[in-house]
Amino acid sequence: MIDVVFFDLGDSQGSTETKDQYDMVIIGGGPAGLTAAIYASRGGLDTLVIEKSSEGGQIAATEKVENYPGFISIDGLELAEKFSDHARHFGATISNRGVRNLTFCCDKKTIVMDDSSEIEAKTIVIATGATHRKLGVPGEKEYEGKGVSYCAICDGAFFRDKHVAVIGGGNSAIDEGLYLTQTASKVTVVHRRDKLRADKILQERAFNNPKMEFVWDSVVEEVQGDAFVNNLVLKNVKDGTQSDFPVDGVFIYIGLVPNSALLKNLLQTTHDGFIKVNPVTFETSLPGVFAVGDVIDKELRQIINAAADGASAASSAIKLYF
Amino acid sequence: MGLLKKKDQEQIKDRLAEEMKDTVKIILFLTEDESKCHYCNQTKEVLQEVSALSGGKLEVEEYNYEQNKELAKQYGVEYLPGFVILDKDSKHYNVIFHGAPFGHEFATLLEDIIVISNGANPPVSQEVVEKLKAINKPVKIQAFVTPTCPYCPKAVLTAHFFSMINPEFISGEMVEASEFPELSAKYGVSSVPQMVINDGANSFVGAFPEKEYLEEVLKVL
Repeated sequence: MIDVVFFDLGDSQGSTETKDQYDMVIIGGGPAGLTAAIYASRGGLDTLVIEKSSEGGQIAATEKVENYPGFISIDGLELAEKFSDHARHFGATISNRGVRNLTFCCDKKTIVMDDSSEIEAKTIVIATGATHRKLGVPGEKEYEGKGVSYCAICDGAFFRDKHVAVIGGGNSAIDEGLYLTQTASKVTVVHRRDKLRADKILQERAFNNPKMEFVWDSVVEEVQGDAFVNNLVLKNVKDGTQSDFPVDGVFIYIGLVPNSALLKNLLQTTHDGFIKVNPVTFETSLPGVFAVGDVIDKELRQIINAAADGASAASSAIKLYF
Repeated sequence: MGLLKKKDQEQIKDRLAEEMKDTVKIILFLTEDESKCHYCNQTKEVLQEVSALSGGKLEVEEYNYEQNKELAKQYGVEYLPGFVILDKDSKHYNVIFHGAPFGHEFATLLEDIIVISNGANPPVSQEVVEKLKAINKPVKIQAFVTPTCPYCPKAVLTAHFFSMINPEFISGEMVEASEFPELSAKYGVSSVPQMVINDGANSFVGAFPEKEYLEEVLKVL
């Protein structure tokens, strides 16, 4: 059997025609946005979800999900597809386009799309998620695509029988590191502390995997190479010593930055850009504008509570504005 | 007993019935020497299955590559399996696939079939269309992908959409990187999607929006 994927990729031939007015426009089609869409549609709102890349957001690039209730283990992509099918089933429209700008003026909320068309919304849900944080060290940008990667599932195939480093100690780092052991000859986790943050079950798998090794208390100071990455300069944070660490590739999973550039100066955020919301209604500092999922200021960033945020936001919107 | 799962078959059938208008023809180049082409048989089978689900609207024509090298060259097929998608009048839009269209790239395949079946008017903004039509020198876009990469179909489709708009000068190719390791190594591909323009005159990594994508393409001119 062959695995094939065929999300409806877009607007070709008007298969997902959009109108110029909706009760609710949700920006971002990950678990938070799609769950908001399910609740809004079932609540009778005319609902549009705008997703610029792949439905499901970050979960579409996750190999296995093992902590979403009801599924002991499910492909990230399959779960993403179930979420979007579910939203469509109850009448939400999902449009594969990009947003250029948002304007809030005089009681009107307008979304300006990439093609300059405009959509007016009575309520907006920001579910734009987050992107992988970069190290910000010399060589990282230069070697992006030449041995520096942020997507194990995309690029793992290029490191068959090679030695790669994974930077980070959380769930993503360990998950992706374990995925890479399927192809790489050795996977070294480089973490700035002396223990992992990842869930215990993942830690056990990592410690028991013969291909996985660990470098503790260390941060990357520089990525070096010729045409391709061949070395990391590591610094031990405890004694300050520097050392060379030869590798063929490096995968970086050191946390997230919120996709909130669109909203700069429009909404209240933390100093690093996560949107502040009312923890009960998920409304932002602007009435009628809600925010959910990885883009908001919160402790735990998981599929389950992203979905819960979406449900809460949609039902508060219905109560407050319809 | 096919390669496509039962549930997938039903969805493909519905989608094609709903969205295909005119007939479309795939010209597929294969070799019988399995050591030279690991995915030729599976690609052939899957395309035949899709054809069988199309209600007669998708025809697949197979050619032995060794015996039809000249024809393959005309269509821009250089590696196996390789295929192109033509419209009802057998017009070639330089929409080229090198490698098996599996995983996420199956989505690309279906989308291309549907767009070409509807007259090859891809959803690209007017501004970008005008700049593409003004191109009057050959531009070859090779989009290197892996079947597990969720960002890749968009990057391949953009290349294909560009070539549909100006097939006289632009060709858009999917290249499945893991099937052609030597080619990937030649251009130093280790992250996908990576676009290689005019044999390496420019290259970039990432599924850029169409405007930025076009800017990168225009750099080779």
